[in-house]
Amino acid sequence: MQTRWDVGEPEKPTINIETEQLKSDLLTLNMGPQHPATHGVLRIEIWTDSEVVAHAIPHLGYLHRCMEKHSENLDFRGVIPFVDRLDYLASMNMEWTYVAAVEKMLGTEVPRRGELLRILTAELQRIGSHLMAFGTYALDLGAFTPFLYAFEEREKILRLFEEVSGARLLYNYIWVGGVWNDWTSEQLDRVATFCDTMEEEAKKYHELVSMNKIFVQRTANVGVYSLQDCFDYGASGPVLRGSGLSWDLRKNVPYSLYPEFDFNVPVGTGEVGQVGDCWNRYYVRMREVVESIKIIRQVLAKLEPGPVMGKVPKIIKLPKGEIYLRHECPRGELAFHLVSEGDAKQPYRLKVKSPCFTHVSMLPRVAPGQMIADFVATVGSIDIVLGEVDR
Amino acid sequence: MLNIDVAKVAELINRHVSGANATAFLPEDTKKLDGSVTVEAAKIFSVVEFLKTNSELPFNSLHVISGVDYLEHMEVCYMLTHYDPASPRDLILKVRLTDRVAPAVDSIVRLYPAANFQEREVYDMFGIRFNNHPDLRRILCPDDWQGWPLRKDYVAQKDYNGMSVYPDGKMNFDDREFIVRQDMIKKAQQAKAQ
Repeated sequence: MQTRWDVGEPEKPTINIETEQLKSDLLTLNMGPQHPATHGVLRIEIWTDSEVVAHAIPHLGYLHRCMEKHSENLDFRGVIPFVDRLDYLASMNMEWTYVAAVEKMLGTEVPRRGELLRILTAELQRIGSHLMAFGTYALDLGAFTPFLYAFEEREKILRLFEEVSGARLLYNYIWVGGVWNDWTSEQLDRVATFCDTMEEEAKKYHELVSMNKIFVQRTANVGVYSLQDCFDYGASGPVLRGSGLSWDLRKNVPYSLYPEFDFNVPVGTGEVGQVGDCWNRYYVRMREVVESIKIIRQVLAKLEPGPVMGKVPKIIKLPKGEIYLRHECPRGELAFHLVSEGDAKQPYRLKVKSPCFTHVSMLPRVAPGQMIADFVATVGSIDIVLGEVDR
Repeated sequence: MLNIDVAKVAELINRHVSGANATAFLPEDTKKLDGSVTVEAAKIFSVVEFLKTNSELPFNSLHVISGVDYLEHMEVCYMLTHYDPASPRDLILKVRLTDRVAPAVDSIVRLYPAANFQEREVYDMFGIRFNNHPDLRRILCPDDWQGWPLRKDYVAQKDYNGMSVYPDGKMNFDDREFIVRQDMIKKAQQAKAQ
């Protein structure tokens, strides 16, 4: 008999029990709704056999705010603040996706400076969101310090957003036709300084966390999603890229002015562990931060004075029909299925394709056979925001 | 929606799936609006199976399932997608359900596991049942919630487990949102009466 620590011959048990026949019942354990590892109000019912997860059932809806129903009663502009509250860590990206859907149906032209500022804010927001993912993921695994490092940098982004939009988290900044407010040159200089410091900080994060032996042992080879799993469940974003497919809407199906920009799509390569595990998903995010910095620098070089708002009718009425529009957001592909009745001031139907909702549905796929602590690592690695899951 | 010729997809489906009766819809202004393919509700499983497995125009992933209530009928929209950097494509595939009392359509969970949660959400919001679904429960609303919230003629229940849903004195019923909502319900009820 081999013991776990291999310390030689074990002592003979005093009670004579056939351990093979000892089959215990599964224990039901509720992780959440108030649990720091679930990143919000998500309840996961776990059936455990000792410390091994036999089955995991996510229970959603604790943060359901009837956003889709509300939007049917609000005019097209009035939906924007509601869209903010979907993924409250990446509000700029949410706004942009919705506004892009409305603009496409309306046929609005956005001025070049407005479009560039949208890219600037969206990429800054992507960095902010990935910093949050980085900090909380390390926190999930027991490292407290990275969280503070991440918040220090994220705060600089929030300060900038607060100055241009008036709010720290829920901006209502990107409007139909452009953006609400122009950035001053002083603010743009601060963005440039931020890019320099962030690049240095990113190196520090890699030294501190990415290749940290304990971190690697907790995340490498844990929660592996094969590429086929990702296709089956419709995963996108860092989860799909972590599993080894070079797929980024900004690159593969370019929208806005992204074709003008030079950046790479980070893909999970399995430096440690294997492709599709928690570590790769984490590492893809961290490399995306660097790519976003690249894009921001190019935006700053391209920016020229000009208007930031295009011409939009006072009352927006969209033609009768529907649209399905996808954008690449920090957590994956967000899409809106917008149906307009024609001659109405409000959407007839607004369906949100939420990347996090999809990713939560993937959890039962990898849970069986994992240790509970590994399951926590898996939940953290897909980086969910419950505002978007429950809508 | 991108890189898709809906007429070609409809023709392909009709050629390979008998009785699918696929019709393509292409809007006048294709720059602004998306086209779609509508098929018979009874054949949805075979159609999706064909779209997933064919070699000419495969779709390897299901993005989302969305429902729309048009009062005289309900629609279930399947957003299929193909994750392939060489030839990405999207498709809106629709089925039309005329029965409002007990609408039902076959589940496609066996083809795309992604459909599990998506179909549960459509069931939760529209009351559309999915035959052969492994676990058809409400997903966002509580299990004992009444009614189907995203139907146009939905009126919220007055109280839930002893709690008032619209407490007196705490709601502003003159709010524009409520007025629009009342109009919508009135319109839906008139359509129902006819």
